[in-house]
Amino acid sequence: MSVARNRRPFDAGRAAYLALNALLLAFLLLPIVIVLVFALNPTPYISFPPVGVSLRWFEKFFTSAEFMNALWLSLWVATVVLVLSIVIGAACALALARGNLPGRAVLTAFFMSPLMVPAILTGLALFQAYLLSGIGRPVWGLIAAHTLVAVPYVIRTTLAVLHNFDRRIEEAAAVLGASPTRVFFEVTLPLIRPGVFAGGVFAFIVSFDQFPVSLFLVVPKGETLPVVLFNYMKFDLDGAIAAASMVSILLALSVVLVLERLIGLKAYVKL
Amino acid sequence: MTNTARPSPIAWLIAPAGLLFVLFFVMPFAVMTAMSFYSGNPVTNPNAFLTTRHYERFILDTAGIFHEALWSTLRIGLVTTIVSLLIGYPLAHWMARMQSRLGHALVLMAVIAPMLTGIVVRTFAWMTILQDKGVINTTLIQWGLIEKPLPLMYNEFGTIVALVHIYVPFMVLTLTGVIGRIDERLEQAARSLGAGRLRAFVEVTLPLSLPGILAGSLLVFALSISAYVTPSLMGGTNVLTLPMLIAQQVGTSFNPNFAGALGVILLLVSLAIVVAYNRILARLSGEQGMA
Repeated sequence: MSVARNRRPFDAGRAAYLALNALLLAFLLLPIVIVLVFALNPTPYISFPPVGVSLRWFEKFFTSAEFMNALWLSLWVATVVLVLSIVIGAACALALARGNLPGRAVLTAFFMSPLMVPAILTGLALFQAYLLSGIGRPVWGLIAAHTLVAVPYVIRTTLAVLHNFDRRIEEAAAVLGASPTRVFFEVTLPLIRPGVFAGGVFAFIVSFDQFPVSLFLVVPKGETLPVVLFNYMKFDLDGAIAAASMVSILLALSVVLVLERLIGLKAYVKL
Repeated sequence: MTNTARPSPIAWLIAPAGLLFVLFFVMPFAVMTAMSFYSGNPVTNPNAFLTTRHYERFILDTAGIFHEALWSTLRIGLVTTIVSLLIGYPLAHWMARMQSRLGHALVLMAVIAPMLTGIVVRTFAWMTILQDKGVINTTLIQWGLIEKPLPLMYNEFGTIVALVHIYVPFMVLTLTGVIGRIDERLEQAARSLGAGRLRAFVEVTLPLSLPGILAGSLLVFALSISAYVTPSLMGGTNVLTLPMLIAQQVGTSFNPNFAGALGVILLLVSLAIVVAYNRILARLSGEQGMA
């Protein structure tokens, strides 16, 4: 699909359009760059301009038992949530798209509703439910909560793929003699995989960076990384936070890059 | 399209999600609503009785803080949504119309990168930029442009700046999908019929992207009225929103019943907005289907 374009030597409107967008991109990215600068700046508190380069804040982060426990807990929870939400979400999307369920639109809206309900209320409601039923605040309760808010992402990305692909491919397989089970495993499942994995990326990040849902559900000494960082920031604003931030950015980024290798980033925009 | 009335066996795949949602979504919200009508914990305290006093406390607002909290929550949400739309639209348009694959991937990465950075981290970034000894104030003082630091943080301004940064990617991704589906040839047709580029955009592309604008705004509004981290760190003691009030009731006052009532109120507000926007969205896409 190539569109012939007549390019003029200088186009003021186009230049303004590009300049505006460059500015907006800078707005999006600069804060992250600044975090990196502060992570490497050796002064004891946040100060600008930076005076040098040091790894002392990374050292502080990686040698602090509090930060390390929180990091491992967050990673563990996010990994379990990733697996659970991929399985539950993809199954649910298939049922919604192919199950001939009555009231499909209402059901889809229902399964999307954790994205519409304020996350802090989901945390509050679960806190109240756990409190009343006397189960306390176990880690599986946190995992269930994170899975609940991650599953809609997987459902959405999987549904998007299911709606886009040509049903005739499935029908062709069936006409050629494949059993429904075989059609499912050999045609449908491979086709929806990009959507499921894209949802998985969201699920991991939603859990790893989750704050509002976790806030009321974590116990002292059993807090996830965002909660520990938040509590630390209320009293101290030093480079350790910046270093921790860099570590979590890099972790999230590597998850995306690994999955991008597997599925391609394009799947994101086809929401 | 074949329309068989009976659900197929695939329908059973909905069961795990259904179970998860009933146990960890429907029931907890029922519990929260019930708790908001009790004087205490009805399981452990046999003297707990049914009451509407938590709601009366909010409605009467003798301390004069609850209504202001509700109002500032909505105000911050609205301003954040509008600014996110103004910032997000040009980026989404640029991305949707980009010819180069590499360019598209790079801009996409740039938009997604902040999303990969947690809310806490991004709020921290804005604290280092906007605080009195932060990047902006230090630079301006060094250049001799100002003498005293500008009050960029611990107010609604700082809160909104950080919230916009956090939620603008959601706006961009929603809009990109919608703008990308608009046939570019429509705009080209308008231009070949003599419309200027701006006019072609305003009269063709912009109206066609209205569903995306509404969907993105809905998303950003719903996200920003429920924000807790950013207002509490960026607003300090000068900003009090409903989510902050709820956290106070759970954390420091340990009044889960009143927290429940506040939760129900915030829930009703956000559900009303969601329903209203969905109506508009359905009507708009219906009209487009007709056209």
